[in-house]
Amino acid sequence: MELGTIIFLLIIVGLIGYVVSIYNRLVRLRNQVRNGWRQIDVQLKRRHDLIPNLVETVKDYMSYEQDTLRQVVEARSRAVATEGKGPEASMAAEQGLSGALGKLFALMENYPDLKASQNVQQLMEELASTENRIAFSRQHYNDSVMAKNVAVESFPSNIVAGLFGFRQDQYFEVETHERAVPKVSLR
Amino acid sequence: MARQPCPECGADNRVGATTCRLCGGALSAEAAQRPAVREKLLRRTDFVSAAHANRQATTRLILLLLAIGATLGYVIGWNMELFLSEQAWERDSIWFLSEWGVWAALLLLGLSLVWTTIAMKAGDRIVLRMTGAREVSREEEPVLHNVVEEMAIAAGIPKPGVFLLETDAMNAFATGLSARRSAIGITRGLLEGLNRDELQAVVGHEMGHIVNLDMRYATAVSTLVGLIALVSDAAWRIVYVSGRAGAGRAGRVGRGSGGRGGGNAGVLVAVLILFLVAALAPVFAKLVQMAVSRQREFLADATSVRLTRNAQGMISALEKLSKSAKPFSGANRATQHLFIVNPFKHFPEKASRLMATHPPLEARIRRLTNLGA
Repeated sequence: MELGTIIFLLIIVGLIGYVVSIYNRLVRLRNQVRNGWRQIDVQLKRRHDLIPNLVETVKDYMSYEQDTLRQVVEARSRAVATEGKGPEASMAAEQGLSGALGKLFALMENYPDLKASQNVQQLMEELASTENRIAFSRQHYNDSVMAKNVAVESFPSNIVAGLFGFRQDQYFEVETHERAVPKVSLR
Repeated sequence: MARQPCPECGADNRVGATTCRLCGGALSAEAAQRPAVREKLLRRTDFVSAAHANRQATTRLILLLLAIGATLGYVIGWNMELFLSEQAWERDSIWFLSEWGVWAALLLLGLSLVWTTIAMKAGDRIVLRMTGAREVSREEEPVLHNVVEEMAIAAGIPKPGVFLLETDAMNAFATGLSARRSAIGITRGLLEGLNRDELQAVVGHEMGHIVNLDMRYATAVSTLVGLIALVSDAAWRIVYVSGRAGAGRAGRVGRGSGGRGGGNAGVLVAVLILFLVAALAPVFAKLVQMAVSRQREFLADATSVRLTRNAQGMISALEKLSKSAKPFSGANRATQHLFIVNPFKHFPEKASRLMATHPPLEARIRRLTNLGA
């Protein structure tokens, strides 16, 4: 009788420990997803901060392209207005900004002096890097979502997930026309 | 003679096997054509299972190292008991379960664990000093800093320290025992010789070493190997001393008890076994270390592609690295396994396959091409 009780208690303790470890893993995965989401915002903000510098630097060289510059500035302020509301809300505004920037970069090809300028080169590198960071932070977000979704869906962690209300997350979907945005090239 | 080496990693395999038991690569071109083998090869290009298989292989290899150490310990203890314990001389043969041997084996296992723990806690920044790398600021090398930060974002870890080695040779390394505290080092030659995509691939490779915690394993493994070498050194001394003492005692016992006991022949066998184990243990340990190291290079390449989503960058970076022939003086035997390509080029590749820390570059490029296809 006593041995039976001990074995029973051991099984219960083992089971609780197992559930706790699964729960902790789910919490870790959920935080990874949240952190990934915030990373995208951070990178978008970085991009917004860089653009006024770029406009300021190229203004003197590109006096005939005031229209394009104005478009970049306007697209930026629209994107800034959506800051902090999550990447989903800012998607359209960011796309407009990418488009305006792409046009500016294409025009800059016509100004060899401008391209040779040390300042402009540095800014271009920073912007190129920011574009990469945005892409990589979305990629990492999606990887985190996948890890969490696998845990939420697969047995036995799905039981614990159901018990404590862990839900599947949405992937960050890039619309087809945004994929066509020209990549900034430094070479 | 019933062995065939793997063309990719150099591990010995049974004749008739189709895939390498160590790296999983096809052992011959015709074997690679068979459907079952093709499926195996395809599965190997899947990152998640590759990482899983890699971890399993590493665990197995570390256990193997511990077993080598324990065997060495047992044989030493057994010899000591033979020569130093009065009781052992009352026995009829030298073959018995040696209590001293068991204790020595346990002692060595405990020592390995303690030693490894200490190395894990203390020894990572030493590597940076050994290679002569210098930390560079964001102002000095903005592109390098950006690339490292991009890859850190892709991997979801804090940004590692950025170090530069002032040499024309093309190479890179990573160090750090946890993802929170790590560093990436790049040579000047690499920074100038590669374009941005290729640089990103190389940094992604090093980031792969960091996220896969390769340094932790490498530290554990090299500490164990070092310990085994040290103990086998000590064993050599025991062979020398006990050989003399044993001969003396055997003579005495022989006289006293009319030729009973192990006798001279038995002592000779025991010393010979100790001699053999002491000689072979460090060699086996070294082979295991190199096998771990080669596995990790393949996985880091694959991780780089997962992070950059661009296999071509890694392929062309490796091609440039294989063409660059400039030797690199900053590396030594203790740090060579850290680098993206083996810093010692003068070692003929075929001759050194078993002892190589890195798989041949062609094999790495071939695997990446498989990924893209």
